[in-house]
Amino acid sequence: MQRARRWQWQRIEGIQMSEFKTIGKNEQRVDIRSKVLGTAVYAADVNLPDMLHGKVVRCYEHAHARVVSLDLSAAAAVPGVVKVLGPKDVTSKAFNKSVIDLMASESTAQMLGDIEEQHIFTDHVKFYGDGIAGIIATSEEAAEQAAALVAVEYEPLPVYLTPEASAAPDAVQFTDQKPGNLAFSLPDGMFPGGQLGWGEVDQAFEGADLVIEDTFYTPKQKQCQMEPNSYVALYDDEGRLNCWMSSQMPKLVHEKLARLFEMPMSQVKVTQTVVGGGFGARLGMVMEPEVCAMALAVPGRPVKLQQPREEDWLTSPSRHPSRYWMKLGFKKDGTPAACDARSTNFKGGYYLDGSALASTTGFWLQGMYRFDTLRYKGDSYFTNQPVCGAFRGYGNPQTNFVLEQMIDRGCAELNIDPLEWRKKWHKQVGDMSWLNATPYTSCALDECLDQGAEAIGWAEKRAKYASQTGTKRRGIGVSVGNHTSGAFPMILEQTTCTVRLNEDASATVLVACSEIGQGSHTTLRQIAAETLGLPLDDVRLDAGDSDANGFDIGAHASRTLYVGGTAVMKACEDAREQLFARAAKLLQTSIDELDIDENKQIFVKDSPDRFVSAAKICRDGSFNFANPQTGELEGEPGQIQAYVSYKPDNNSPPFFSTFVEVEVDTETGEVDVLELVSSHDIGRAIHPAICEGQMEGGAQQGLGMALMEEIYFDDNGHVTNNSFTDYKMLGASDMPKMTNILVENPDPYGPFGAKSVGEAGLVTPVGATANAIFQATGIQFTQGPITPEKILQAIKEKGLSYT
Amino acid sequence: MSTRVLTDFDLVLPGSLSEALDILAQNGSAVTVVAGGTDILVAMKAGFKADMVMSLTALPDLDYLDYDASSGLRIGANASIAQVVDSADVERHYPALWQAAKIFATPQLRNTATVVGNLLRGSPAGDCCAAVAALGGSLTMASAGSTRELDIDDLWVAYGTTARADNELAVELKIPAPAAGRVSAFKRLTRVNEDLAKLNVAVSLQMDGSTCSDVRLAMGCVAPTMIRLPSAEAVLEGSELNSETLEKAAAAVQEDISPIDDQRSTAEYRRGVAGVYLKRAVEQACSIA
Ligand SMILES: Cc1cc2nc3c(=O)[nH]c(=O)nc-3n(C[C@H](O)[C@H](O)[C@H](O)COP(=O)(O)OP(=O)(O)OC[C@H]3O[C@@H](n4cnc5c(N)ncnc54)[C@H](O)[C@@H]3O)c2cc1C
Repeated sequence: MQRARRWQWQRIEGIQMSEFKTIGKNEQRVDIRSKVLGTAVYAADVNLPDMLHGKVVRCYEHAHARVVSLDLSAAAAVPGVVKVLGPKDVTSKAFNKSVIDLMASESTAQMLGDIEEQHIFTDHVKFYGDGIAGIIATSEEAAEQAAALVAVEYEPLPVYLTPEASAAPDAVQFTDQKPGNLAFSLPDGMFPGGQLGWGEVDQAFEGADLVIEDTFYTPKQKQCQMEPNSYVALYDDEGRLNCWMSSQMPKLVHEKLARLFEMPMSQVKVTQTVVGGGFGARLGMVMEPEVCAMALAVPGRPVKLQQPREEDWLTSPSRHPSRYWMKLGFKKDGTPAACDARSTNFKGGYYLDGSALASTTGFWLQGMYRFDTLRYKGDSYFTNQPVCGAFRGYGNPQTNFVLEQMIDRGCAELNIDPLEWRKKWHKQVGDMSWLNATPYTSCALDECLDQGAEAIGWAEKRAKYASQTGTKRRGIGVSVGNHTSGAFPMILEQTTCTVRLNEDASATVLVACSEIGQGSHTTLRQIAAETLGLPLDDVRLDAGDSDANGFDIGAHASRTLYVGGTAVMKACEDAREQLFARAAKLLQTSIDELDIDENKQIFVKDSPDRFVSAAKICRDGSFNFANPQTGELEGEPGQIQAYVSYKPDNNSPPFFSTFVEVEVDTETGEVDVLELVSSHDIGRAIHPAICEGQMEGGAQQGLGMALMEEIYFDDNGHVTNNSFTDYKMLGASDMPKMTNILVENPDPYGPFGAKSVGEAGLVTPVGATANAIFQATGIQFTQGPITPEKILQAIKEKGLSYT
Repeated sequence: MSTRVLTDFDLVLPGSLSEALDILAQNGSAVTVVAGGTDILVAMKAGFKADMVMSLTALPDLDYLDYDASSGLRIGANASIAQVVDSADVERHYPALWQAAKIFATPQLRNTATVVGNLLRGSPAGDCCAAVAALGGSLTMASAGSTRELDIDDLWVAYGTTARADNELAVELKIPAPAAGRVSAFKRLTRVNEDLAKLNVAVSLQMDGSTCSDVRLAMGCVAPTMIRLPSAEAVLEGSELNSETLEKAAAAVQEDISPIDDQRSTAEYRRGVAGVYLKRAVEQACSIA
C-alpha cells in the first residue's frame, strides 16, 4: 500500500490534541472475531420457540399478468400449513418499499411525484417473481409444498422490457398514478424546464469546434451481498409487532412498518441483526412488509421468512439499467463548451425510489467538470423487470461509464492527453458541487492524479501503447469522479447520538448507524475513543435496537462516517466536557488546563502530579455516597450523559481517480486487467485498512459492471441468470494487481477532516476500464458490460485502430 | 429456482462391488449413483428427485490412480480430480488431463469431484471429458455377471445422456500409455477463473518430427455433447504441422460444431473463438513436447 501524507494535520475545532491515539490506526475491527468464527448472529440465525415459516407464492409463469382467480384451498390442506393468505387476507393499504420518500418533506415528495402503489400480495403481476399470496406453515418444506399447490389463473399481458415499449400509447398501465408508464422525469417545479444545468447549451454547440454524440447502455447489475435477506417477525402477546431484519436503514423501516400497519412506532420494534453486506440492496424494505403481515396473521407466533438466493435476486432491487445519450462540444484547445445529456432508466415493476436515481445521475454529471454550459434531463419508465433501487454509487458509475468515455473520445479527436485535460477542467474548491447549490470544500484530485499516474507509469505506458502489433494489445485508461458525504442538502440528514459514561468511566455510545460490513462501527468507535480520550476497549457502540437508539437515517449516500461520525464526535465532546468540568472543580483549575492519560487519569497539563481518576468522578456521580463523618456528599451527583441530534451543513465530496491497464486478446476479445491504481482524496483516513477495503471492494464491483455483470432476460421477461452459476462476478483470483493511494487533505467540515469512501471506490474503475480498452483497441464500447463477445464482434466489424 | 424440499429417498451404501451391482440389477433406473456428488447434490437442490441414492463412498479400493508405462493409466471410480493434479505421471504423460484437472473448479471441488463422475455426467462442458475424449480411452462398465469396455467415443449419446445401461456401474477409466512423441494439451475459456467453460478444447497428436498422426481433437460447449472434430482432424492427419495447416484445421472446425446461445456465451462467439482455441491448444501441446 502507498499512502500519502503530504498535508499536515490542521486543527479541527473542539479537539485540541497534538497527536492521535487511535485515529489513523488500523485497529482491530469490532466485529471481526464473531464474523470469522461464524458466531455472528445474522437474521437467518434468529430462531425463536414455536417459530413458523413463511413463504411468498410467486408468479414464475409470466412477467406481466393479471391474476384472474386464486385458489388457496389445496395449499391450505397440506399438513403443517397453519394459514394461507391471499391479497384480501392482509392489509389492503398501498405502500412503497423504498424509504427515500420519507426523506423529503411531504410537499417535496409531492412535487417529485413519489407514490405508494405496492401491495403485500398483488393481483397485477409486474415482474417475473412478483408475489401473489402467502403461506405460513410449521416448516419451510411444508410451506414450499403448499406454495406449489396454489391454483392460479392468469391473464397474460404484454411484456415491456424497454422504456420505449412501456411508453407506447396503448401499453397497459402499471399504475393509474403514472400515466404513460412514465415513473419519473425531473419535475419542472424543482428543476425549471425539467432539466439540470446552466447556460445556453444549443448556442454553445454552434460555437464549438468539435461536437461528438452517442447513446450508451449501462447494465442491470446486482449487488450480490453475501447474506441473502432473511427475517423473523412476531406480533407478541402485548400487541407489539417485532421484526428482526438486516435493513441498512432500520429507523426508517421502523417508521414505514408503523405507517403500513397503522400502529404507533412505540408498538413496533425493529432489531437490526448483523448485516451481511448492503451495497444498496437493502436500502429500504425488501420483505419486511410480507413477513410482518404474516406475523400479524398468527398472533403470538414468530414467523421466519428466508428466501433462496435465486428469489432474493428477483425481489431485492438492483442497479437501474440506463440508456444514456450524451453530446459534448469542445473548442480546439479542449475547452468544454457544452454538455447535453439524457438518461432514461428502466424502472422495473414498481416505483420505489423512483424520483432519486434519474436525478442523481445528472447531479454527478454536473458536479464533475467546468463545462461552459450544461443540460441534463432524466426520466424512468416502468418495465416488466425486477425492481431497481439503490446500488453503491447511485447513478455515478453510469455517468462515469458514459462521460469518461466521451471525454476520452473528445481528447482523442483533439489530440489532447486525457490526463492533462482532466487536470485542467475538473471542478475545484469553490466551484459548485453536484447539486449546484453548495461549493466544494476541499479537493485533492490533482494530487490523486499525479500520484496515480506515477504509480502506474501513465506517461510511458500511454506512449508505448500508442502503436502496437500482434494479437495482444495493451491499453491504459484514466477516469475521475467525485461523490458525496451524506445527502445534504438534497434530502434529509440527521443522526442522533447518546453517550453515557459508566461507573468506571468506560463509555456506551448509542447510535443507530448501520454496520453493513463497511467497518463503520469500528471507525465510529475510534472517533468516540479519540474524542473522549478513553482507551478503545473502554468504548462500546450500541446500535440496531429501535427502542434504545434515537433517530438515524441509515447507511446510504456514503454518510455514516461523515454524518454519524460527527454526531458521535459532538456527543463525545459534550461528555468529555462534563467530565472535565467536574475534574476542573476538584483540581481547582479550568477545563482547558486538563488532559486525560491512558489510565483514565485526568491531570493538569502543566503539573501532572495534580490528577483525579475519571472512574472516581463517574462512580461518585452515580453512587454519590455521603461522608459518614461530615454528611457531605462525595463528588458531583448525576451520571454523565450527552446527547446530540446532528444535522450537517455540508457534504464534503471526496474526489478520486482510477488508472487501469488492460491487455486485450484480439483473437478472443478477452480482457486481462493487469493493474488498477485508485487514489482517493479521503480527507483523513480514520482507519486506512478499512478505506482500502472499500476501494478494493468497490473496484471489484466497478470492474464487474464494466466487464461482465448483467442480469439477462428472455423475450418473455423471465430472468435467466439469477444465480451464482449463471451470473458471474470477479473472484479473488480474477482481481488485478491493485494499488490504493490515500491522499490526506483534511476537509474543514468532516470529522477529523474525513470525507466518504463507501461508494466512491466503485465509480472510477468503470470509466477507466472502458478507456483502457479504448486505447488498446481503438474502439469505444457504448453497450455495457464490455464482454469478450462484444469486443470480438466489434473488432470483426470495425477492425483495430489506436486512440 | 432451488428448493428446500428434499424428498424422501433411500440411501444405500454398498460395501462391495458385487453388492453395488446387485442393487443396480434389482433397482435399475430407480438408482441414482453418487460419487463425489458435486453434480448430483446441485441437481437435487434444484428439484431433481431420486428414489434411491447409491453412494460409492463405502466401496473399497476404487479411489486409485495408477500409471504403468506399458498398460497406461487406470483411474478408479472414486478417484478425485485432486488426485490427478497430484500425480506427476499424469502431468508428464497426459498433459491434457492434468491441465484440465489443474484449472478445474476450486480446491474444495477438486477434493470431492471424481474424474469418472465428470465423464458420466455427460455435460458438454466437462473439462475432463474434453481431455479424455482427446487422449482416447475406455470405461470399464460392470454389471452383475458381466463387464464391458465402453470406448470413450461411444460414451455420450445426447445432452446429459450416456450409453451406460441402468444396471451398470463405471468402475474404471483406462487411458492407453502414450507412445514416444505423443503430445497433448487442454485449454478452456471461462467468464471468470472459477467457472464452467464457455468453450473448452483438448488435443492429442502423435508427432514424428513435425508430421502428426493419430490426431484426436475434442471440443466442448459447441454441441449437445462433448464432440470430436473430424473435419479438423482430417486436415491435420498425416500432415506437416505448420501455420498453414493449423489455419486450415482451425477453419475446418466450423464444419464440426453447432454451438448455441446460453447464459455463458453466444453461438456466434463460440464460432469466433473455436478455431483460435484449437490452434492455441495444438501449439501448447507441441511447445510442451
Ligand atoms: C461449484 C462447482 C464448480 C464446478 N466446476 C467444474 C469445472 O470447472 N469443470 C467441470 O468439468 N465440472 C465442474 N463442475 C461439475 C462437477 O463438479 C463435475 O462434473 C464432477 O467431475 C462430477 O463428479 P462427482 O464425483 O462429484 O459426480 P456426481 O455428482 O457424484 O455424479 C455425476 C454423475 O455421474 C454419475 N456417476 C458418478 N459416478 C458414477 C459411476 N461410477 N458409475 C455410473 N455413474 C456414475 C452420477 O449418477 C451423476 O449422474 C462444477 C460443479 C460445481 C458444483
